[in-house]
Amino acid sequence: MLTTIRAAACAALAALPLLAQPVMAQDKVLKFATPQDFTVVYTFVTAEYNQGYRDYITLINERGGLGGIKIDVLVSDHGNAIQRGMEAFERSTRDGAILVDPLSTPVSRALVTRALQDKVNLITTMSGRSDAADGTVFPYVLPMSPSYWSQVARMVDYIRQEEKDLKGKKLAYVYIDTPFGRESLPLWEALAKKDGFELQTYPYAPPGNEQSAVWTQVRRFRPDWVFIGGGGVGQPVSIKEAIRNGIRVDRIASWVWLSESDMDVVGRAEAKGVLKFAVTEQGADSKVIKDIIAEVVDKGKGAGPKDKVGTSYYNVGVMAAALAAEGARKALEKNPTGPFTGEWLNAGLTSISKFDLGGFLPPITITPEDHQGGGQGKVARWDGVKWVAVTGWGAANQDIIWEMIRKQAAEFKATGK
Amino acid sequence: MFYRQAGIRYTSYPAERQLWPLGIERVLMGLILALALIAPALLSPLLLSSYLLPWVIWSIAALGLNLLMGGAGQIHLGYAAVMAIGAYSATHAARAGLPFELSLLVAGLASAVIGVIFGAAALRIRGLYLAIATLAMQYIVDFAIGHIPAISGGTQATVATPTPRILGIPVEGPVGGYYIALVVCIVVTLFMLNLRRTSFGRALAAIREKDYAAEILGISAFRYKLMAFWTSSFIGGVAGAILVFCYYRSVSPEQFHLETSVQLVAMVIVGGLGSVLGTFLGAALILLAPLALSALVASLASSGLPIGSDLRAHLPLVLYGALIVGFLIAEPLGLAKLYDNARKYLLVWPFRHARS
Repeated sequence: MLTTIRAAACAALAALPLLAQPVMAQDKVLKFATPQDFTVVYTFVTAEYNQGYRDYITLINERGGLGGIKIDVLVSDHGNAIQRGMEAFERSTRDGAILVDPLSTPVSRALVTRALQDKVNLITTMSGRSDAADGTVFPYVLPMSPSYWSQVARMVDYIRQEEKDLKGKKLAYVYIDTPFGRESLPLWEALAKKDGFELQTYPYAPPGNEQSAVWTQVRRFRPDWVFIGGGGVGQPVSIKEAIRNGIRVDRIASWVWLSESDMDVVGRAEAKGVLKFAVTEQGADSKVIKDIIAEVVDKGKGAGPKDKVGTSYYNVGVMAAALAAEGARKALEKNPTGPFTGEWLNAGLTSISKFDLGGFLPPITITPEDHQGGGQGKVARWDGVKWVAVTGWGAANQDIIWEMIRKQAAEFKATGK
Repeated sequence: MFYRQAGIRYTSYPAERQLWPLGIERVLMGLILALALIAPALLSPLLLSSYLLPWVIWSIAALGLNLLMGGAGQIHLGYAAVMAIGAYSATHAARAGLPFELSLLVAGLASAVIGVIFGAAALRIRGLYLAIATLAMQYIVDFAIGHIPAISGGTQATVATPTPRILGIPVEGPVGGYYIALVVCIVVTLFMLNLRRTSFGRALAAIREKDYAAEILGISAFRYKLMAFWTSSFIGGVAGAILVFCYYRSVSPEQFHLETSVQLVAMVIVGGLGSVLGTFLGAALILLAPLALSALVASLASSGLPIGSDLRAHLPLVLYGALIVGFLIAEPLGLAKLYDNARKYLLVWPFRHARS
């Protein structure tokens, strides 16, 4: 007869000492956790983002930390799997992390309830739910970056300025058929109604490495502009298919998920003219990136290869780290003695005011009510070699967006208990 | 030595038919049950909520799948979809005001009804063809959940689960969730252990070996195949509901994609087809090994070993793959067979030959 469970329990017991690492008691260190997806979907996005994140934190630490207090970044891989993300969240908070940045929409969505209960700051830069911008409903979830709604609205506003008038123009939104891609559909409809353009939406099946069927339909619609709403592998495929189906390259636009690496896949010269939304200055010419190169990378303390320094996602990582560090600085100003808990850091993060990192970012102000921070960004164009900003910082249609944010946040509040 | 058979004499039929005839096995089972019951007091919150709790829940699901794959020999590549049906129906039932206990029942029934419809394909096809048919179920259910806002919960596609209430008393936190999962797990485990001693279990075994031979023996393949899908889907639905109520605390489509189905099949195969013990071992290996390995590599890296960040992310995957392949090469019949070999050896130790 079977002897059940026994050896299983023995195996578990044998594994316990392995798993139970001592909790380090260090007072003068703040711990930020970055359990992210290095291996499955986000891969190179994560690698560049995390490199920028750690390089900026190293820069702060090299300069003596925040009034003597250093920041420690805990790195782990969750492979875009909810289960592993939860384990990483529990593990890093047990190890003393007061901020968790999972950089994954599925994982951060799943962590929302935990973060709210455990009072740990869940940073959802460029990921997660757009309605988390409402700080009254999501006090511990902080996007601190323009939501996808803000990015779409900004890009449509740019197109409106280019065309003078959008009435009668045809816009196509080609998106990945997941909650992430579908999230902006209500905004598209609202904008189409407001600006009077003709909208058609085309979903493609995830992960998006095969989209030819969709693009023949787009071709029949003969759109004036195409907005591609995906992330990772689907993005270069979208651009290639758009070009093949006769869409002008300088009429293709997207949100933040386009980088130098994506352009390599399409072909740097072929993709000349593509537009994207940018949340930071592009390239390695900004002061902060130069400082990182001089004080971190050239001293051999960089977290990754030097040729990735200054790429699009690297800069987004710098942005996320800079905002987190600025929040900690504000928190120290408010309450220099701690205790250094999630609540303590939250007070600092929600009092970030007009922070622009020497022009690297638009001026960002986070309040306990507004966790988005203004939703500003630039429109950047690929010139065949690099991304070049074609506008200044700006945001558009924030009234429509905030209406949607409040409506969905209220829904979460009413039903999410 | 450990497994003493001397002095065991059966004087009644119930004594001969008991689940664990050897004394030591009864003692061990009691010990494990006691450990499982006091685990929340022994383990840190991290170990309880991130290791033990998901292990118990995934074991329930894998047991359900093992009934179908190991018991009846029908492959199922869409088991995550079965769980999704249970998870969503229980969540919506509970949010509509139904008590948690009844919501679990609703989850089981909904999964069983839909599961049996797709299972009907097994009446005509078998083997790889059935695998493709169940794969279709995975995609159809995924699509339906994603594209019907009433199910998925609208734009954000995440529905929070209400706090489970047992007899009206709210059960909160990982400890409460653990006990709910444990009770369900014990019930399902006992059911699975007893299954092979019933006429139902024997009929399934006959169908697994050769379905038309079973027909000649008077076993209705039509009836028993559908019953296998019904029972297995019922358990899967309940497991899905427990997963979202006690562990995830919210339900969203990406929790139940194809990867999850493949993981479940891997649990059953690595553990050992048809073995209850193996299911627990397989679930432990597939689920906990990646977590434990990445923690191990991380602690090696922080203790000063020169492991770069790329290697640090990928080394656990390499080790994990090696572990699975290694175990299957060592014993193709799964982890349960490894245990069984040791047990058989010890049964006759210090002599060399077992009777079976």
